[in-house]
Amino acid sequence: MSVDLSNVRNIGISAHIDSGKTTLTERILFYTNRIHAIHDVRGKDGVGAKMDSMELERERGITIQSAATYCNWKGNNINIIDTPGHVDFTVEVERALRVLDGAVLILCSVGGVQSQSITVNRQMDRYNVPRISFINKCDRTGANPERVTRQLQDKLGLNAHMLQLPIGLENDLAGVVDLVTMKALYFDGDNGEIIREEEIPAELQDAADAKREELLDAVSMFSDDLMEAMLEETEITSDMVKAAVRAGTLALEFSPVFIGSAYKNKAVQPLLDAVEYYLPCPTDVENIGLDLNKNEEEFPVSNNDDDPLVMLAFKLEDGRYGQLTYVRTYQGRLTKGDTIYNVRTGKKVKVGRLVRMHSDDMEDIDSCGSGDIVALFGVDCASGDTFTDGKITCSMSSMHIPEPVISLAILPVDNKAQINMSKALNRFTKEDPTFKTFVDHETNETIISGMGELHLEVYVERMKREYNAEVEVGAPQVAYRETISARAEFNYTHKKQTGGSGQFGRVAGYMEPLEEGEYEFEDKIVGGAIPREFISSCDKGFAKSLAKGTLCGSPVTGVRCVINDGAFHAVDSSDVAFQLAAAGAFREGYAKAKPKIMEPIMKVAVEGPSEFQGSVMGSINQRRGMIIGTTEEGNYTVVEAEVPLSEMFGYSTALRSLTQGKAEFTMEFASFKPVPKSVSEELVKKYQDERKEK
Amino acid sequence: MAAANDYIRGIAMGKEDLVSNNPLRALGLEKEDGNDGRRVGLVMARAGLGKTAILVQIAMDSMLRENKVLHVAIGEGLEKTKTWYDDILSLMNHQDKSVGSYQQIVDEVMQNRMIMTFKENSFSVATLEERMEDLAQQGIFKADCLVVDGFDFAGADSAADLGELKSFMKQNDLKMIWFSAVSHRDDNRVSANGVPAPCHEMDDIFDTVLLISPEKDEIRLKTLKCSAACSVDAGKSLSLDPATMLIKKA
Repeated sequence: MSVDLSNVRNIGISAHIDSGKTTLTERILFYTNRIHAIHDVRGKDGVGAKMDSMELERERGITIQSAATYCNWKGNNINIIDTPGHVDFTVEVERALRVLDGAVLILCSVGGVQSQSITVNRQMDRYNVPRISFINKCDRTGANPERVTRQLQDKLGLNAHMLQLPIGLENDLAGVVDLVTMKALYFDGDNGEIIREEEIPAELQDAADAKREELLDAVSMFSDDLMEAMLEETEITSDMVKAAVRAGTLALEFSPVFIGSAYKNKAVQPLLDAVEYYLPCPTDVENIGLDLNKNEEEFPVSNNDDDPLVMLAFKLEDGRYGQLTYVRTYQGRLTKGDTIYNVRTGKKVKVGRLVRMHSDDMEDIDSCGSGDIVALFGVDCASGDTFTDGKITCSMSSMHIPEPVISLAILPVDNKAQINMSKALNRFTKEDPTFKTFVDHETNETIISGMGELHLEVYVERMKREYNAEVEVGAPQVAYRETISARAEFNYTHKKQTGGSGQFGRVAGYMEPLEEGEYEFEDKIVGGAIPREFISSCDKGFAKSLAKGTLCGSPVTGVRCVINDGAFHAVDSSDVAFQLAAAGAFREGYAKAKPKIMEPIMKVAVEGPSEFQGSVMGSINQRRGMIIGTTEEGNYTVVEAEVPLSEMFGYSTALRSLTQGKAEFTMEFASFKPVPKSVSEELVKKYQDERKEK
Repeated sequence: MAAANDYIRGIAMGKEDLVSNNPLRALGLEKEDGNDGRRVGLVMARAGLGKTAILVQIAMDSMLRENKVLHVAIGEGLEKTKTWYDDILSLMNHQDKSVGSYQQIVDEVMQNRMIMTFKENSFSVATLEERMEDLAQQGIFKADCLVVDGFDFAGADSAADLGELKSFMKQNDLKMIWFSAVSHRDDNRVSANGVPAPCHEMDDIFDTVLLISPEKDEIRLKTLKCSAACSVDAGKSLSLDPATMLIKKA
């Protein structure tokens, strides 16, 4: 059975940590009859919210993995991805945005637009996601939705306008005035489930009229009908206003703002209406696939159930019943029992079980069509893989994956832990592309790397809880890089004749800095100085050498190796001999190519009362940070800076004591930059000392 | 070691090229002239004609000449202001093909800049002075030049504020302060030098006044007032590339 796509909404819920998005999702599930009781994130009943399905999430009160769920509101199928709020988990947010058609940005009415909201907004811009905003927690002391709306305009550059006015604020929050229908809405019953529509309170009438006028001015440019009605002063219907708001929102030129308090059960239902009215259905947005038969030519996917199947696996989970793969269908239809092809591996897989997810519960379904978000069982793949039915060879565009910036050494406490740890690491690296792991052969330590301290901490916890893998954890280490800054030539002969068959290979050429990318190899050999069969050996030898630079033992990136001469021996030359010759050539060239150490630089935003601005800036300055600027609004200031990650360990404690706990900060990776000479010397010395000790 | 020095020399050359090829040389900015060896400048235009673009080019030129610039944006966001710098430097680099290691120049030059943004109602000269003194005392940032975008010249205290800023400039050894101001089509008041309202009654405060003026197919940057170091006579103009808003030699 085909679903009318105009009744499908794939939405994400993104926000700053603690702005209440999990609570909001819980209310949405309650009002759409998916759950029959409300449990709060940090509720006294200890049950935790429905969407926080991981034990750890419930304990910490933050969402780590985005759980997908589905609900039905007034005949519309809404697929919701609840996304994490902490910046260390942005890949989860990014992945969700990649497959979603629209998003709800949740903001705290007191905290307003915080740095994480800016990050999330930037991610939404990257994927052209139309968004509506919900200013939550209007029941809190200090709630000021108008200020937050202005911040949406100023800080995020959104053409944001309120579609509602609060009736009372803080403790007195009673309901909202709908500026489209010009009615007052109140939410009665134990859980706010009964909506009572009344006339606008007299004392709010003038404010509501003025705000509606402002709203109409802002949206009239998106609808000729509305513009005409305004000019001719004829009746302006609710439908006209809704159509104009929808057009502006879909064009990413307008962003409607709603208000309420999820915790107090106020105004969540109008937000669900807004999802239906203003956010796009799958056919409203254009998703692009890459045709692999036509040199990755871009083509818009059709959203048509009758066309060949195209699906993207955007999330993997190791559940109670094996691997669960979340997929978004872009075109075609998938039925239980169908065989699908993984475009990356070329492998065929039979879909044995197809389910619709509701956090950690699921319901079996027989088929799914275009625009749907469902989960498959028993399909082995990596996150980001594209599946088709074999009639089309295409891939959905690749996802932006940031590089890890921090690493930890982990050591299993016993043999059993060792086995479990391997299983866990295998799973986590498949699930999360920003989480990487490798074994340092010199120290024999297992190293895990990721996007921040919390990111790694959560995985270590998950290892213990989900896999029973007890590990000892080393101190966090910054993931340095090495690169070269000049062109240098090499000419290296590897010769070994100590009995038995010998080894011989000469590799000559040059290496130079590579502006973009990690490594490139070019073969400019003419006249067979190195036989064809050994060219790839040279490539391998160089590539292996990149794993560990000679300055501080960090991976080498941004290097282009070119070979233009060499020599071989008819008997003694071999794959191994040329790999070793290339490794020798790399060492020789690298030493001359002015290698340098690069460190991850983080974009840091510290928000707090203006009286602490000086101390905050001083603390950043002490940490080798470069202050980009400050934004002062009333008695609140945001300081933005770029600071080396290595200097940020322990900053939260320092900031707390500097500002009496009144300031907070967020950080995200910005770029790799060369370390200053003094730091470089220190790192080199430390590395040399460590090597001597071994 | 020799090669490393070549490399550093390369970056320095890139910066020198960007400075020497800059059409702003016609205004003699590098000579730090004006009253007591300091300069107070003003860029005027009607709304939306590119005052910020000009201010950023003046600031950038100063940064390339190793001056520390504090850019104060009133009523504008930090990200937007930062984007102006990124865009202008990238365009300047694009125009001047001789410039070498671009990223290194960006990294180095941006260390000479700090941006402070204020909401209109949060800004006061006293707050700005307090912030600047704090930065200087802590050794974080000691500005040589100040760029103030969005100052309210129509405000009641504007003349007093400007006087205050001028004495602050002297006390703190600032080389330049540049302002932007919005002129209005329907306000015909002008000073003897041709400086439009709302700055017509305070043009004696400024050593240099530039007016962005759209004319037929081009945008002119008229020099209404200019100090002795200018090679552009008062009343004459530079021009702006309408696509990029970069200053061109007329």
